[in-house]
Order: sequence, then structure tokens, then C-alpha cells
Amino acid sequence: MRQTLVAQISKMLISAALIVFGLGFSALSSAADLKAIAVLVPEQGTDYGWNQQGVDAARAVAEKYGLEFMPAEGLGYGDVRPTLRELAEEGASLMICHASGYNTAGPEIAQETGVPVAIVDTPQGLVEGLVTDYTLSGHDGAYLAGVLAAHTTRTGSVGIVVSGEPPSWNSQSAAFAMGVKAASDSTKIIYAVIGPAAYGDAAGGRRVTESVISAGADVIFGQGNGSSFGMIQAVETTKAVDGGKVWFIDVIGDKTEIDKGHLLSSVLWDMVPVYDAMVSDLMDGTFGTRGYQIGLENDSVRLLKSPHIPANIWNELMDLRDKIISGSVSVDNISDAQAVRALMTSVDINEG
Amino acid sequence: MSELLTETFVTALLFGSVTAGVPLLLAGIGEQISEKSGVLNIGLEGMMLVGAYTGFCAAYYFDSFWLGFLFGGLGGVSVAMLMVLFCVILGLNQIVIGIALTLGADGLTALLHHFQFSRTYPRLSAVEPLVIPVVGDIPYLGEVFFHRHPVVYLAVGLVFFLVWLFKRTYVGLNLQAAGDVPAALDVTGVSVRSTRTWAVLATGFLAGVGGAFLANIGAGIFVPHMIHGAGFIGIVLAMLARGHPTWVLYGAALFGVSLSLTTALQVAGFNIPTDVVQMLPFTMVIVMLILLGRNSYLPAALALPYIRGER
Repeated sequence: MRQTLVAQISKMLISAALIVFGLGFSALSSAADLKAIAVLVPEQGTDYGWNQQGVDAARAVAEKYGLEFMPAEGLGYGDVRPTLRELAEEGASLMICHASGYNTAGPEIAQETGVPVAIVDTPQGLVEGLVTDYTLSGHDGAYLAGVLAAHTTRTGSVGIVVSGEPPSWNSQSAAFAMGVKAASDSTKIIYAVIGPAAYGDAAGGRRVTESVISAGADVIFGQGNGSSFGMIQAVETTKAVDGGKVWFIDVIGDKTEIDKGHLLSSVLWDMVPVYDAMVSDLMDGTFGTRGYQIGLENDSVRLLKSPHIPANIWNELMDLRDKIISGSVSVDNISDAQAVRALMTSVDINEG
Repeated sequence: MSELLTETFVTALLFGSVTAGVPLLLAGIGEQISEKSGVLNIGLEGMMLVGAYTGFCAAYYFDSFWLGFLFGGLGGVSVAMLMVLFCVILGLNQIVIGIALTLGADGLTALLHHFQFSRTYPRLSAVEPLVIPVVGDIPYLGEVFFHRHPVVYLAVGLVFFLVWLFKRTYVGLNLQAAGDVPAALDVTGVSVRSTRTWAVLATGFLAGVGGAFLANIGAGIFVPHMIHGAGFIGIVLAMLARGHPTWVLYGAALFGVSLSLTTALQVAGFNIPTDVVQMLPFTMVIVMLILLGRNSYLPAALALPYIRGER
């Protein structure tokens, strides 16, 4: 009996040691096997927005860790399974599926090939060691943009034009509306969606934005990928109802280089910290155990300072930024489309 | 809601609906010509996309909207020539080739845009409209319909020209015979291959002009993938209109108005799911055209290659 007990304890200790050794070896082998990062984007990585920020950030992280960089750009919004299989065969150690349309294909191919993938806007989709999620939201930055818009409007109306209603767009639309109302409760908010997943619909972007401007808005908060260029075209070629200039507030990227004098600001996203943390987790063997976010505190979300923003308003915005970081002003992260729509007619401010 | 209904807002909405409808009209009547002759042109989206790209390049580099439309049409013709080669001459599967052409055009234009415009994103200036005297002064509707680039008037005029062509001319009869009983047309000494070739090239030209309109006037810029399904909607309009050019006109107008209606409902703050609102254009067009088009027909030899002597 005693011998049996000793034998069992010995077996357990040996097993535990083997497990610990195995886990350690696994983590070591993960780090050693990490050779290349692939990023898949629906449009070209030169759109001064979502696609460019994703590609540039992945490239920067690959360079930092000395990994091969494998970009797959302009894939559209269809089936990316063949591309994912190809990248896996070519040796990708991590495949970043940088579009919500890839959220079904990504995990499937991860299971099939064993290559870890990162998907977006699916926080419930984590699979340890295999699938992680980054549901990014610049809602804190969008709140600041809303305050800026309220201070800038002459007509008392601001517009929000979006190319779809993914969680990231929704949370920023909601926060922008809350920012507007926090600064000026009487300012009217006009909200319009171009179409179902109209990310590349530049003509739709222009048409809807022109309608929103004609309804009174003289500041447009536009979220749209390729359709953003249609919004910008509308802003550049349409007068506000008071005959004056219409301003544009962009998201994610910095379009200063191609601006013709209408870019008031942009809620900039930096995805380097996100991808950096993913690679780090992959090396540590903790990949797929948590999601990733961006925020004001490390400047991965920040407001673009354009020359059109008066100094006093900028200072006010920076004070507000500090309050958000410290927690004295909190901005709700509302990502449900129905809740966002309801918010456009009834905005509650959550301060203090 | 009522406070929104200013002349400026209503005019902008209706103006936008016409702008959205014209590319669909051009693509739809183009597809109708092709289908009339028996060629199901699934590559319409690709023709529009190439037309949008070449049309934008011409308008931008030559600073001329007219040259933009011309080159847009020629861009569409270049894709149509491939359709002719593979489907009319070689008799390959029209659906497969059409899909391949669309995918190829999508990739090609995205690649060309990447090398040419992806760092500058040039935009065109606003178009100078041709204002029709007297009717152009009508409140609301004057600006919507009669302050337009001449291509809009030509597109509407083309519908009535096609009605006449299809019903009153030998060209129209030949087209119909090529689509219904190609062997009979062949027996009369008229080349089915030639008839279908010209029909597909005409489709390519009109789709290309439609694409150029979308890029140059609709958006004022070219971005990859920008046709966004307009070509497929054009195919649906043509198929549901079943040989009647005027029904394509109604369908395109209905679609444009529905798009504006979706914007109006949203701007007015109706708190209903966006998906429901945005189904409106598609639902309205399909329901209306199915109701109106029940007694029409599609060509008997549609999508079937013609090989002389083969039964």
C-alpha cells in the first residue's frame, strides 16, 4: 500500500515535471519558430486609413522582431481562404486578418493549418494558441473630435457619415455624438450610413455626404475606407447651407498630404502596440488568451492637430484628453448599431 | 422631419438619386443589347470598372469630361473584346468568362491605381452642367433634371432610341433573332457571330461610359473596387426588364430614388435597423419589375453559344 502511494506520487511528480518542461519547450519552440508575419487587407495599403495603418504597423513590428513581412493587399471583401492557405504554406507564423469580413475564414484556416491568426471585432472568438482578436476603438479620440466639431460648427449641425456599422465605427460614432452634446447640447447631429458594407463606395460616400451637408451639417465626421474619398470630394465641392466651408474629420489615418484645406482633424489609430503585443504573446505562449485594444494613454489613439484648429480649442481638447486618461471623464464604448442610432436622438453625458 | 424638407435638402436628395441611377441605366440598357443578341454578359461589372478607371484617367490628364466618357467607353470595349473572343468566337461558357473578366478587371484596376494614384488620390473638379432654359428654373425638379452634364440627357435619349431600334429596324430584328433563333438568322445570310460581336461591343461601350460617369461625376475620384456591384444591379435590371429599355429606365430611376429615400429616412432620425432601410432599393426594384415584367420573356438562346450546323 505504502509502496503504491509512493509510486503514484512519484508518477505525479514526474508527470508534472514533464508538463512544465513540455510547456517551456513549447514556448521556446514558438519563439524560435516565429519567422514571418502576414497581414491581409481588403484594399491597398496606401489608403491613408484602415488598410495603410494595418500594413504599416505589421511591417514595423516585423522589422522590430527581425521577422519576414508578408503583406497581402487589395484582397477585397470576398473569400480569403486560398490566400490564407497560401500564406500558411509559405511559412507565415502569424496571419493578421485585417477586415471583419475575414472573421469566418481566419479561424477556419487556423484550425486547418495550425498557424495562429488574429481577427477583428470578434472578442468572443478567442482560441488559446490559435485565434486572437483585436476589437479596436478610438472612441475616446472620437469624443474629443465631437467636442472639436461642436466648437467649429457655424450652422449648429454636424454630420456623421459611415460606410457600414462594424463595432469600431459604431463606438466612434456614439462617442463623437456624446462629445458634441457635451460641448453644446443644442448642436444637431445628422447620422447616415452609406450602405451595407459600402467601404469602397466612393460615389455613395459623396452622394450621402452631399445630402447630409444640404440638411445643414457643416462639419462631417467620416468613417469609410475608400468611400472616405467620396466624402472628401463632397466636402470640397459642396458649400454649407450658410454658404461657407464644410470641414471634414477623418478617422484612423492622416490625409494631410492630400488635403485641399478641408481636413479639420482625424482620430488617428496606431496599431503598432497591438501587433507588438500579439507577437510578444506568441513568443510567451499566451497567444489567444486575451484581446487587444488601443487608447489615449499611450497615444495609440490621438487627435490630429491641423492648422485649422485654434490654439485655445486645442488646449481645451488636451485638458479633456487628460481627464479621460485619469478617469474623471468617462466615455462609454457603445458598439451596438441599434444603440448608436438611438443615441443620435437622445444623448446622455457621463461625466465625473 | 418637416423641418428637414427644405428645398436645398430635397433637391440634393433627388439630385443624388439621378446621379446614382444614370450608371445603372447605361449599364442596364447595354446589358439588354447583349442579352437581346443571346449573350449573357456577366462581365458587366468588370467593363464598368475598367471604364471608370480609363475614364477617370482621361478626364484627369486631359481635363475633359467628354474625353473621360470617350475613354471610359473604350475601356469598356477593351474588356468586351475579350468577351467576344472567348464567348462569341470560341463559344466558351459565358457565365464563367464573365466572372473571370470581372475578377480580372478588379485586380488590374486596383493594381494600376496602386502604381498611379495611391499616394496622391487626385480628385476632379465639379462638373459644369448644361442648364436647359425655362424648365431648368422649375423649383426642385429644374435643378434635379435639367442642370446636368449632357451625358445624362443622352443616356435618357438613348433609351427611346433603343425602343425605336428594337421595334422598327432590321438591326433590332437581327438582334432579336440572334438571341431567339440564331440558326434562322444564319439561314437568312446574316452572321450571328457578327451580330453578337457588335452587340457585346456596344454593351462594353455603354458599361464603360456608365463606369466613367460613376467615377467622374458620381464620385469625382477613382478608388479600387468602386463599382460596388452596380454592374450586377445593371444585369438584374436588364433581366427583369426583359427586352424593354424603358423598364430599365424605370428600374434605374426607382433604384436611385430608393437610395435617396434610405438617406432621407436616416437623416430624419428614424430609429429602425439600418439593414432594413438599406434593403429598400433592392426590394423595391425587384418587386416592381417582377410585377410589371411577368408577361415578358428572355431570349430562348440566351447564354448559349452558336455553332453553325449544331443542333
